[in-house]
Amino acid sequence: MAQRDSVRLEPVLIKGFVPERFMSGLKIQKVDSTTLNLFRFQNISDVLSLYTPIAFKNYGPGQLNTASFRGTSANHTAVLWNGLNINSPILGQTDFSTIPVAGFDQLSVQYGSAASIVGTDAVGGSILLGSAPSSQPLQFSIGRQQESFNNHQTQLTARYASAINDQWSFSGKTNVYDGRMNNDFPYAERNQYTVLPSTSFQRGLVQDLFFNSKNDHQISAHVWLTRNRLTLTPEDKAGRELTSTEAYRTMLRYNFKDFTFRTSWVRDIIDYAKGDYSQLDHAVTDKFSNRIERDFQFNAFQIKAGGEWAHYRAQVAGYDEASVTENRGDLFLLTRWQATNRTIVSVNLRQAFVTKFDPPFTPSLGAEYFLAQKERYSLKLRGSIGRSYRVPTLNERFWKEMGNPEIRPETGWNKEIGLEQNIVSNLNHTFSASVTAYHNRIKDWTYWNPGKSYHVENLQQVLARGIEVQTGWYHNVNHWKSGSNIGYTFNKSSQEKAYDAYSSDIIGKQLVFVPVHSGNLNAFIQYKTTRLTGQAQAISKRFSTFDNSQFLEGYMLTNLLAEHTFAWDKIKMRLQGQINNLANTFYLNVRNNAMPGRSFALSLILIYDSPQTVK
Amino acid sequence: MKKQLFRLAAFTSLSLFAWSCNQSDPAPKGDYVQGVFVVNEGNFSQNNGAISFFTREQTTAQVDIFSAANGTALKGGAQGYAASGETGIILVDNMSAGQDKVEIVNSNTFKTIASIGAPDIENPREVVFGINNKAYVSCWGSNADQKFTTGYVAVIDLTTNKITKRVDIASGGPENLVYNNGKLFVGTVSYGGGKTLSIINTSTNAIDKTLLFENAPNPIGIDADEKLWVNDGIKVVKINPDSYNAEATLSIGSDATKMADKFTFSSDRRTVFFVLTYFDAAGEHGATYKFGVSDAQVNVTTPLIKRVFTGLAVDPTQGLLYAGVTPSYAQAGYAVRYRADGSVVDSIKVNVAPTGFFFK
Repeated sequence: MAQRDSVRLEPVLIKGFVPERFMSGLKIQKVDSTTLNLFRFQNISDVLSLYTPIAFKNYGPGQLNTASFRGTSANHTAVLWNGLNINSPILGQTDFSTIPVAGFDQLSVQYGSAASIVGTDAVGGSILLGSAPSSQPLQFSIGRQQESFNNHQTQLTARYASAINDQWSFSGKTNVYDGRMNNDFPYAERNQYTVLPSTSFQRGLVQDLFFNSKNDHQISAHVWLTRNRLTLTPEDKAGRELTSTEAYRTMLRYNFKDFTFRTSWVRDIIDYAKGDYSQLDHAVTDKFSNRIERDFQFNAFQIKAGGEWAHYRAQVAGYDEASVTENRGDLFLLTRWQATNRTIVSVNLRQAFVTKFDPPFTPSLGAEYFLAQKERYSLKLRGSIGRSYRVPTLNERFWKEMGNPEIRPETGWNKEIGLEQNIVSNLNHTFSASVTAYHNRIKDWTYWNPGKSYHVENLQQVLARGIEVQTGWYHNVNHWKSGSNIGYTFNKSSQEKAYDAYSSDIIGKQLVFVPVHSGNLNAFIQYKTTRLTGQAQAISKRFSTFDNSQFLEGYMLTNLLAEHTFAWDKIKMRLQGQINNLANTFYLNVRNNAMPGRSFALSLILIYDSPQTVK
Repeated sequence: MKKQLFRLAAFTSLSLFAWSCNQSDPAPKGDYVQGVFVVNEGNFSQNNGAISFFTREQTTAQVDIFSAANGTALKGGAQGYAASGETGIILVDNMSAGQDKVEIVNSNTFKTIASIGAPDIENPREVVFGINNKAYVSCWGSNADQKFTTGYVAVIDLTTNKITKRVDIASGGPENLVYNNGKLFVGTVSYGGGKTLSIINTSTNAIDKTLLFENAPNPIGIDADEKLWVNDGIKVVKINPDSYNAEATLSIGSDATKMADKFTFSSDRRTVFFVLTYFDAAGEHGATYKFGVSDAQVNVTTPLIKRVFTGLAVDPTQGLLYAGVTPSYAQAGYAVRYRADGSVVDSIKVNVAPTGFFFK
């Protein structure tokens, strides 16, 4: 378990899932395993909102939650699971309330557009989820969290690793989770605003298997099944609303030396019903995708060349056709050149192909230069310019009447420049700091135009620009560890283009639900296996209308966590207590309903480790 | 100087006049005693409806007077507002089941007096005042299956601020209401499938009679000759409100794919204004037209105003036509004022999706 400051910026060591070594010039933030462990019973949005500047547009506890990364829309964040984009093809986005932290082992966040590497949707940034091989021969863990409002979650995990024969070894993980948010709030309102009754039930199964041979063959298989069942006003039999989201994600990966092949199948099912659940609005999407890539090395040059091919099939109640299909292909060439021992340059090229579409050629250029590179001090200048694009969602094209088969892909140019420094002092203090400025203009931004009966059109153009500052401090002496990190982001994101008589009221105004200022602070102190963590996030007011005539007030939330791990011979027990929304802050969600006040959670994880067996 | 003196004199005499009025008949107190109230539906998924207010002389609006008076928003879409004397009733339609309500406010201060929520009020559509301290609210009910079979008219007793009766309107989703002389005419929403106009006797609060139409009937109001006008698809029908006989039927063009709505009377109740719209691949089109209550036909070749609106009403005091413009459901709309000849006076920015007006 790596004890690291969570804003330390470094390449992630998931071999080959996402080619991060070609992302030079871009900012990548790895969320360390200690931090992920704090959030083991929570959703990914809880981690991201406390450790990154990603803004969330939340409809309520356990309800729809979409991301705005660097001032872009919910469609502009690519979510990759082991390198595969898992945004819903019909919606082009991910509902983060359906992604529990229990579903993955590794999390990193890549800022800014990396479309030349990641492909579509990577306009504001990418969220990279990964599976990791087990290092333990055998480990079982069982965890249970009990929260206020009769909310609870249970998890069972087994990790295993073994040699099969002289050549092959395997490792794996099996994890099941079951979360129930009953949301039995003791109050119906806060400050006269309704706290909407809702329940969210979440279930999932994760299965990872890694096979490694001594002669460089690697095979891995990954399965992630999730099911989310959200009910609004469940007591009202006539008016209750059900949204059920299921995802079946499967992947098979084969790697031999410099060659990698990946095949995957993902099925997304969304069902919606109001009142009578016997008639569901049903939407099924299948995505079959294959990827092949090969690495080359010529002296100081590293090159990755490859292609992807995907077939989509969607059956959606709202479409004209019973079933729509589409093929997409991508060719890419990624390069990394260690020009000098202080300089790295990456040039990446990608061309996507989509049935009946013409996505733009997507190049990017990134560079990193160490202004200082000493044993205890480093200062790095990095910069990047890259084109991004977003293939329109299936809904944008095929929805009855409102969809537009002629819609063009959105495209943008992202430019950014940043400085990163790391200082290690003599007294076991480590400091890190980074500052990044970005400028991202997105053209042909799609808009469901109310002036044309919500026909979707490429009407808008958005400029997102901002500054991100992140600092971290980490200290380790004897049995004591402590650390903190602080982040602040200024983001101005505005519409630039007039398209009707009333759009002058909108031009230059901040995009809805994107705060101009946001910040977070995390600090911990640990003695042996006892740890106290404080978390805070603050966001400025968020406008709720395009013309900025209405807004939701800014707010600050604080959490306090205490944990202690008891260790015996083969068994460890982690006990964690948590107070969320410590100050009982009142704030509103997108529906104009109140969010819950202070709440408490207690969790217990029992871990059994089998003794190390040496064969 | 002379001019100034004259102004001063005029002002003084006016004040004296106002003061003397005040002496004889105490003027109601409040920030919203006289003026124009705009019902802004808001964006349904954001529950951000509001009532805006401006006096007739003003060109800027107070965009959310309920919040200003009560320190908390309506917390739902605003479906309607009407007032009688000191009592105002706001219809609030929340996107989530069980959160709808009527807010009963002091019409002059907009301070809330009482609130009636679910299950008494679900999906409220329109409110009118009757006599004997009664108000009537058409509601779709839960309408979970979207079949419009759960509708009713709620009868509010304004002495207790409670619902005293629900009159079921089983088919079609009750919508527009017209109260006249002991009778409440209840129309149905155009897409609800119902084709009957229900007439409630307000002394018994029971349905006295139902009249069958070809399409969803939409009662417009009572004209200067005390006749009831009802919109029926692309027709308008003049009806004797006592005998229920149709006295005239006028066609609004001949294209049944078009939709006529937002009917409103002129201040003398001799002219009817309305919006005629149609949809094609490029979106919504249409214009605003008028006809006289004695006309033999409706002229749909020459529009009064070449625009469509989300709300239309005439100020009975000044006779100006107030039209609601909704550029989108995510930005403030406008109240545009027109003279009776269709020439524009000015436009006032209000709140999201202005759909109705109330004049006091």
